[in-house]
Amino acid sequence: MNLRPLPSNLCRSAGCTLTGALSVTTHVCDAITVVHGPQGCTHHNFSLLHATSLDNDRVSLPPLVSTGLSETDVIFGGEGALDRTLDEVIARDPGAIFVLSTCIADTIGDDVGMVCGTKAGIPVIVVPTAGFLGGSFQTGVNNALIALAGMAGPVEGNGRVNIIGEKNLEYEVDENFAEVSRLLALLGLSVNIRFVRDLATDRIASLAAARLNVLRDPSLIPVGEFLQERFGTPYIPAYPVGLSGTVGFLESVAGACGIDCHRAVREERALRQETLDDFADLAGAGISLSPLPPDPEGSRAAQDLVQALGLEVRSSGRPVPVPVTPPIGITGVRRLLHRWRRALHA
Amino acid sequence: MKQIALYGKGGIGKSTTSANLSAALSLAGYNILQIGCDPKRDSTRMLMAGRLIPTVMDQVRERGATGVTPADVVYTGFNGVRCVEAGGPEPGVGCAGRGIIATFQLLEKFGTLTGDVIVYDVLGDVVCGGFAMPMREGYAQEVYLVTSGELMSLYAANNICKAIERLSARPKSRCRLAGVICNAKNQPKEEELVAEFAHRVNSHLVQFIPRDRVVQLAELNRKTVIEYEPASAQAQRYRDLATRIMENTRMTIPTPLEIDELEALAIEFM
Repeated sequence: MNLRPLPSNLCRSAGCTLTGALSVTTHVCDAITVVHGPQGCTHHNFSLLHATSLDNDRVSLPPLVSTGLSETDVIFGGEGALDRTLDEVIARDPGAIFVLSTCIADTIGDDVGMVCGTKAGIPVIVVPTAGFLGGSFQTGVNNALIALAGMAGPVEGNGRVNIIGEKNLEYEVDENFAEVSRLLALLGLSVNIRFVRDLATDRIASLAAARLNVLRDPSLIPVGEFLQERFGTPYIPAYPVGLSGTVGFLESVAGACGIDCHRAVREERALRQETLDDFADLAGAGISLSPLPPDPEGSRAAQDLVQALGLEVRSSGRPVPVPVTPPIGITGVRRLLHRWRRALHA
Repeated sequence: MKQIALYGKGGIGKSTTSANLSAALSLAGYNILQIGCDPKRDSTRMLMAGRLIPTVMDQVRERGATGVTPADVVYTGFNGVRCVEAGGPEPGVGCAGRGIIATFQLLEKFGTLTGDVIVYDVLGDVVCGGFAMPMREGYAQEVYLVTSGELMSLYAANNICKAIERLSARPKSRCRLAGVICNAKNQPKEEELVAEFAHRVNSHLVQFIPRDRVVQLAELNRKTVIEYEPASAQAQRYRDLATRIMENTRMTIPTPLEIDELEALAIEFM
């Protein structure tokens, strides 16, 4: 029996475990993901992943295959359908196959691991993703990352840094990555792999070569802990948020890697000041935040900006947009301030 | 058309009782359909001269749901009794309850569910929604509990009362408890105990069927008692059961007991 309590406010933010895992596995570019369940689970997610990538100016057809469970499979067991589908997919010779379960497969108790264990030649990785067992979208992301990390083994270190758990369905994924890369470069560090975004299967093996893992946000801490335990790689729990995040981020990364960060911090402080100077014309403007930031972190990031620029928040103020996810680093802040300026001058 | 379902603990004699009841009803001139709702598929065997007929789910597995015809699943046995076995998945895989639901939908589509009396013989416990199917959608409106005087058997019968109580509370539900059949283990005061149990759950004892060697002899000869030894006292009990079921108008919503009440009852009649 699954003893996890269901998260509250489920429909708003928790989502489906399967979708979370798919947002990861579909970014292993030469792999195929098999969804063991009725066709609808695959179709719905295919549409969502496709539409979301279009929103981010990418045209992608997620490599998904459904086992297409029918009523007959439910009655007699779906293991045969999975077995047949795996054989068909293996014949297409992908770099790896990820097998994701669904609510119906786990309800009738199909032994997905057993069926996958009979296949040889191509890695067949099982990710448990039945949504009704109380997991959220994030559970799916974490389960998938941990399952994929199982494909990596100990390798010689290369001194570089992994990016862990980019939110492939959010806006500005690549902009945020660029910002974090910029900060790492200030410390003389470069990125090893983006785990997982546009990643080839054979690159997963180098996961353990990195000296540090940078997690996209703290909800990935279980993954960071797993990688630390398995490969001994320390981690930074989150991207830097807002105006004040980057200096702290530089210090944490430098601390974890044992490198000096005085020059990098000095440069970053100068950039921060430069940004404030660039938007000094906004000082004294009356604004209202619309909508209100959805989480405390976003709220703090917005308040920091208000204070640093000398803005006034009042109910009669001109509404300025607040993104669902808080701005990452100085460049994220700059993009947000451009939007605020446009709103104020509109 | 009368639709009745027999529920009770596994091994208590539901299939034997159902088959003899169907045989007796058919000899009384009624057109009978008996449907075994258990993956074990042996409900109708004594009506079919010992033959395990192909099940609905076997046929679906082999031919696909669209390839199955009524002739593949309905078999005529003793004295014209039509026999159907729902069947189900291999033990240990899949979902047998969904198999029962699928069987009912197919039989509905085929127009098989006709006759004067349909007897549904349903597996031991109502383990999931699928096995409650005969009590739903207006199929079986009269549920008979088959039990002995043993505590575990009464416990199972009491659990089925809970299912009936729950289902009968639904709007438009016509499912009711029609009575209790005592298939005895020949314990002392067994008839009194089961009669009292029936009374406490707001029902009545319809028929007491004593334990008799002729049942085993008939089974070894692959026949119902009605067919094998029609002159026996046991055959008369089954005919009495058939008569009472056809005359029965006392349908109730049961009042299941708590486990300690049930135990106290069993101790009272020890």
